[in-house]
Amino acid sequence: MIKIESLAFSYKHSKQPVLNGISLQIKRGSLFGLLGPNGAGKTTLLSLLTGQLVSPAGKILLNGADMRRIDAQDFSLVPQDYAFYADLTVHENLQFFARVQAVSRADLAARVAEVTGITRLEDKLGSKAAHLSGGLKRRLNLAIGLLNRPSLLLLDEPTVGIDPHSRRFILEAIKDINAKGITVLYTSHYMEEVEYLCDEVAIMDNGKVLAQGSLPTLLAAHTGTSITLELRAPLNAAQLHQLERHHTVSQRGRLLTLEADGEAPQIYPIFAYLESLEVELVRIHYGTHNLEELFMQLTHRSLRD
Amino acid sequence: MRLLSLIGKEFLLLRRDVHGLALLFVMPSLFILIMSFALSDRFDSHNPTISYYLIDLDKSKASRALIQGLAERIEFRRVEAGDSDMKSLLHKARDDGAQFLVVINADYLQQLMNDDAALALHVAPSTDKVTAQLFKAFLHERLSAVYVQQSLQEAFGTDNTDSDFGIDMQQALTEHSLYTGDAGQQQIPTAVQQNVPAWLLFAMFFITIPLSTTLIREREQGTLARLRSMGVGNYQFLLGKLVPFFTINMLQVGAMLLVGIYLIPALGGERLEILGSVGALLVISSAAALAAVSYALLIANLASTTEQATIAAGVCNIIMAALGGIMVPRFIMPQFMQDLSQWSPMAWGLDGFLDILLRAGEIADVLPEAGKLLALAALLLIIASLLSREQTTR
Repeated sequence: MIKIESLAFSYKHSKQPVLNGISLQIKRGSLFGLLGPNGAGKTTLLSLLTGQLVSPAGKILLNGADMRRIDAQDFSLVPQDYAFYADLTVHENLQFFARVQAVSRADLAARVAEVTGITRLEDKLGSKAAHLSGGLKRRLNLAIGLLNRPSLLLLDEPTVGIDPHSRRFILEAIKDINAKGITVLYTSHYMEEVEYLCDEVAIMDNGKVLAQGSLPTLLAAHTGTSITLELRAPLNAAQLHQLERHHTVSQRGRLLTLEADGEAPQIYPIFAYLESLEVELVRIHYGTHNLEELFMQLTHRSLRD
Repeated sequence: MRLLSLIGKEFLLLRRDVHGLALLFVMPSLFILIMSFALSDRFDSHNPTISYYLIDLDKSKASRALIQGLAERIEFRRVEAGDSDMKSLLHKARDDGAQFLVVINADYLQQLMNDDAALALHVAPSTDKVTAQLFKAFLHERLSAVYVQQSLQEAFGTDNTDSDFGIDMQQALTEHSLYTGDAGQQQIPTAVQQNVPAWLLFAMFFITIPLSTTLIREREQGTLARLRSMGVGNYQFLLGKLVPFFTINMLQVGAMLLVGIYLIPALGGERLEILGSVGALLVISSAAALAAVSYALLIANLASTTEQATIAAGVCNIIMAALGGIMVPRFIMPQFMQDLSQWSPMAWGLDGFLDILLRAGEIADVLPEAGKLLALAALLLIIASLLSREQTTR
């Protein structure tokens, strides 16, 4: 189990802390989703977990032991970038990263075969990494992360910028990896991926954990607190201001959210007002139905903002 | 094993970097060839470097003696102009066909004794002042000798117009090398002796471009972060760069020396002779390579992008080269520029190489220059290492 306690971190030239005393618990063998918009502190958290950064406050424990004392062989980071050498072939990249992680010459071929089997890169061993498609590059990035047979795999946005087919392949591969007992910490912008993959989720924003738990528990806990109206066209500033005089509302694109503030919002005067403006109503959502809505409710913004 | 993997990876990447290899090996080879041939006359003190046309309007025994005296000086070269008249020769001299036009006036001897113009010296536009003064001084010396001879003849009735009183002026002055103590030791390099080490050093410092490109790419693409997460330490990472790029620098030394020893003579130029010891060559080459790679590591850690690193390296290298006597040999610089050039690491390296190639230096002779380069390397490496650690922990 990973236990993070009151972890804080600030970059030297920044006044705002990137992590503001966060605490998390990730069960052994789980597939844990870490959600947050850009700047939430996800990558910093991963850097602290892998020892690239050192936190002045807080603790990170892996199975009860200080993470800083854990052998790098026990975990693996798959960064968001294509963190390999474009001018080397797939095989040369795998060989190099395996040797850096002290895989012996005797085990090298078997280890390379093992990770290329998982990521289905067997036919691409002789290809220069630069010549791979985006999806294959993501697979190579993942394959390198598996070379040391980690017990904890840290995945930082592993499906950014690839086609749906490749994304599906990587998601399935991650499920298979997790099924072998490897704990996976998965950060992503894509909530549908986290919903599909993860047993547990933590939502981060501004260096804080806003919510943590299994997805059904989180959705149940936050249901019934707001009404979202999807309009054909967004309201202009004056129209929105008129609504704000009587209701707690926020607008994001064509979505107008009415906060309940403990009581059911008075919906009919709003319908009447929209009708008077001749603004067509496309859809109404009540409560929190999916992770995206939960995220917006907690952070008051979209993941892609 | 980890360090060996890092080094092996760097060699693989370098092998595939065609542009980088061209920059490190082809560019200096071409510079050496072009500059050695282009400046061969300028550097070569054995061949005539001062050229002149001559018209003898006197055609006397005295004028022929003067012409003979000029012809005997190896540093002067008369440009034959056939039956050209005064006007056409003036025109040719103005077009820099030669540096001077010497006109021996009619009644040359009489004019000299009457304190009138015995000679007219026309100076071509491209002739530098020092050369003009040197040539004028020689002509004055000849005229003075003739004047004295003629005065003696008139006083004592002897005829010595075709001799210098039997005195061999060459014996009146002996030359001693301050470097080795051997009389006549050559101190000014030939074009090959100057250009091979000069452009070699220039290219060695250009290792900055391939090194910073790979290092900055590793940083930008997250490969460095990945390596760090795999337990690769700061010093291990830097050593993984230093060793292969140092080796490349040493290969450059070997390749450029081979260009000087074999390629230039094969193309008709002068062969580079290594007069000093191979040990000294290894010492100065290693020191220069360590300084160049440390400098490259510093630039790579200071720059945020490959563009920044390329521009910074290019500009700094050219300034160091201009200052250090790579582009303009230091011996033709004015004194204040020579003093200023002492601040360029390329000048230290060049001095060390010239100690070996020109002054038959041994290891002890290159230790001062090697010491300066090693001290610089240590300083730059410490700063680069601190910056590298800083970037990891920001």
